[in-house]
Amino acid sequence: MILEEHAPETIPRSTCYKSPMRVAAVVLLLAACGGDDAGPEPFTDTGGTLAIDGCDYSVTSRLGGEPPRKATKYQGSDPATRLVHLGIAGDPQTSMVVQWRTVDETTLATTVRYGVGAGLAEGDLTKTVTGIQWAYQATGSEQPRVHQVHLCGLEPGTSYSYQAGSPGHFSPVYTFRTAPDIVAQPDAEVLYAYVGDSRDGYDIWGQIVANYVTRMPDLVLYTGDAVTIGIAQDEWEEFLEKGEPLLSQVPMVFAHGNHEVNSVNFFSQFAMPGDQENFSFDYGFAHITVANDTPGENNTLTGSLVDFLRTDFESSKTSRWKLLMHHQPMWSASQHGSNLTLQSTWGPLVDQYGLDLVLNGHEHNFEITKPLRGGVVQTSNANATVYAVSGGAGAPLYNNGMGFWTAYSESTFGASVVRVRRDQLVLESFRSDGTLLPMGFSKTKP
Amino acid sequence: MTVRAAAAILAIAWCAALAHAEPPSDALLVDAPSAVTTAEPTSAELAGDEAFRAAQQRATAGDPAAIDAYEQIGNSRPITRWTDDAWAEAARLAERAGDYARARRALEAVLAISSDTQLVRRARGTLERLASITGDGQWDAIAKEHERLVTEVFGGDDPRAELTALAALVDQHPDYPRANAVRGALARGWEQEGDRALALRWYRAAAAAGTAEPGRRSHLELVRALLRADELDEAEREIAVLSGGGEGSTGTVDSAGLRAVREQLATAQRRAWVRRALWAALALLLSGALLVLRRDTGSLAAAGRRLVRPPIEVMFLVPLATLLIVVGYQGNPLVAHAVRDIAIGGLLIAWISGALLEATRARHGRVPVRRALIHAALAVAAVAALAYLALDRDRLLDLVSETWRGGVNVQ
Repeated sequence: MILEEHAPETIPRSTCYKSPMRVAAVVLLLAACGGDDAGPEPFTDTGGTLAIDGCDYSVTSRLGGEPPRKATKYQGSDPATRLVHLGIAGDPQTSMVVQWRTVDETTLATTVRYGVGAGLAEGDLTKTVTGIQWAYQATGSEQPRVHQVHLCGLEPGTSYSYQAGSPGHFSPVYTFRTAPDIVAQPDAEVLYAYVGDSRDGYDIWGQIVANYVTRMPDLVLYTGDAVTIGIAQDEWEEFLEKGEPLLSQVPMVFAHGNHEVNSVNFFSQFAMPGDQENFSFDYGFAHITVANDTPGENNTLTGSLVDFLRTDFESSKTSRWKLLMHHQPMWSASQHGSNLTLQSTWGPLVDQYGLDLVLNGHEHNFEITKPLRGGVVQTSNANATVYAVSGGAGAPLYNNGMGFWTAYSESTFGASVVRVRRDQLVLESFRSDGTLLPMGFSKTKP
Repeated sequence: MTVRAAAAILAIAWCAALAHAEPPSDALLVDAPSAVTTAEPTSAELAGDEAFRAAQQRATAGDPAAIDAYEQIGNSRPITRWTDDAWAEAARLAERAGDYARARRALEAVLAISSDTQLVRRARGTLERLASITGDGQWDAIAKEHERLVTEVFGGDDPRAELTALAALVDQHPDYPRANAVRGALARGWEQEGDRALALRWYRAAAAAGTAEPGRRSHLELVRALLRADELDEAEREIAVLSGGGEGSTGTVDSAGLRAVREQLATAQRRAWVRRALWAALALLLSGALLVLRRDTGSLAAAGRRLVRPPIEVMFLVPLATLLIVVGYQGNPLVAHAVRDIAIGGLLIAWISGALLEATRARHGRVPVRRALIHAALAVAAVAALAYLALDRDRLLDLVSETWRGGVNVQ
């Protein structure tokens, strides 16, 4: 089911205003405009929840943001669309979230036009969906406004072309693809971009994005620390602007990093499943669990988060491939070193449920461990877990080190890809100059 | 003829037609699960599936013949849903092995037979990427050698021979499409080896040789390297050039990158100033302490004799400092270095301080309260200065500020 479908608007907004001498006509026109052409309501920072019609979930905004509201037809002084990026909040086989901002921050019109197929012309985007929007309080007096359209009822493994914006101000046509149905497509190859820690180095992030565009991943797994401090809106703009060539075509799922500081900016700008902090989903042959290892309340790290992980791992124990993504590595020989709290509380669960790969950032380098179980190096990765760090998206590099667990480490800007097929999982990495890192990870299952 | 058999023949015929068709464009492609979709797998499908699994196992085991196995599946007929996937995997392994011609052939095969839009898009992207690395094949051997040497430089033990070979490669082939990436690798490699002069030379070479975007990136890398090397004046000059305010400007620069290095420079300059001030203060305190000690003991020789005997507090602090250092080395190496420096420096301060107090007591019979207070305040200031300098080393301060902002669990 699609949230809302409308015929393309036939009454331009300007028409609704430019008939001051004809009162009756204005009344009629206002009625035809649906009476929803008013500007933004006074800003409130209470947050709130809005059920998304046609999708089986709600969207919640945090304290510091307005409650999410349905879009209207109101266009501000410059409704040009910018910073278009995709996310997932529901089943990635059948849904996609398109997110963007406008130049003026007051436009309330929020529309996506789309059609089935890759690289369609504007005229072929025959379906229209209206979305939601809300503003949030950033540093100083800024109140950026996010626009989201939730597309549900899509077909699995299918390419869609789309444009985001409002009448007269749509973005270029982009293409996205839904997650494959692995029953219908047992030969599917799903490719995750896996990277983190772009803060302070957006030129390098841009370089990595350009490399990713040639690899055309299905999903971006970002391990956190996109910005130096989460409340710095200008850094988010740099991150999203440099990322747009990739993120307008590939949805991104984000693990909260310590530099995001649980900011309203972070939670407002990225649609993700559940509470946007601790959640899981299936994409292709893998079950991916995402956890916030810098929660607002530190004691949840060893309390409710452990319960969340146990419950999630238990419910997904028959999954073909199991991945955990969070920010701070349990195993690292670099600047911060291993996070011993996570190692002692989350590590046993990783062992117990036989996760295949744990994806981290935090250290600004590349590291991959030997297969580990119970903190002991195993000769085979059949019943062991490999932990990776891919934190070279632009933040100042850290020296790499070697621990007894280290299979390979390199202090380099770069990023990784995880290729998942039914019977094989491969992790490969590249430096920002495009050369390949020698050591990756490959595992097959019978 | 059964319906299944007819469906299979039709599917094979369709795939054969596809194999001889022009590569489809994105706009014309209809998403389909694979080259062939039948309700139930045929024996060919099952055999393809089995062969694909076996090839994957060989690839995971690092068997170089895995490429042959994938190519064999790709060449097998009838075409199955695994055929295009096998070519895609063969291309991936061939690229990793540096056999770019073989990778290109495999990718062309994907384009010829696959109806999977994602696989086709990836194949096109990879072909474009390979073209940017190897041209139309004339740089295959150089690109392979480049990858091999870079792997040795960053993954090997002593990379000096490989760094020399990389330098020769870029000297002999300055037109190689990734020549600037080679210069960048040389710079990082020498920096990793601790040869700052050579590292900066190659960063400069990359910044000078690169045009437009690559040149700007290399220039930013040069600035970052200068900041890492604490060459702040030169970093400032290069930032001015990057900003368009100096000779050799590369024109438009990336605002984010430039802003970041400017902020890093400002922080580094501030810290350098504080560092200089603290070293000067420590030197002043030490000189003052020695002068007072000489005055209180009566002669330089007596002061020396007083300093040779460790005061009682030092005897107490030595095992404590030793314990702290040993415990420190069980954890983060940066923290360990800082703990060691603070512990040893603190011992020295305690030693001089104790010697001073003993000399004063010997001369006056007691230490006046006012003097004791001033003495304690200066000792605390010296320890604080020492602690800052220890934290400033290796930029541990950044880690501390991160912890401050994010909480203890954040590290």
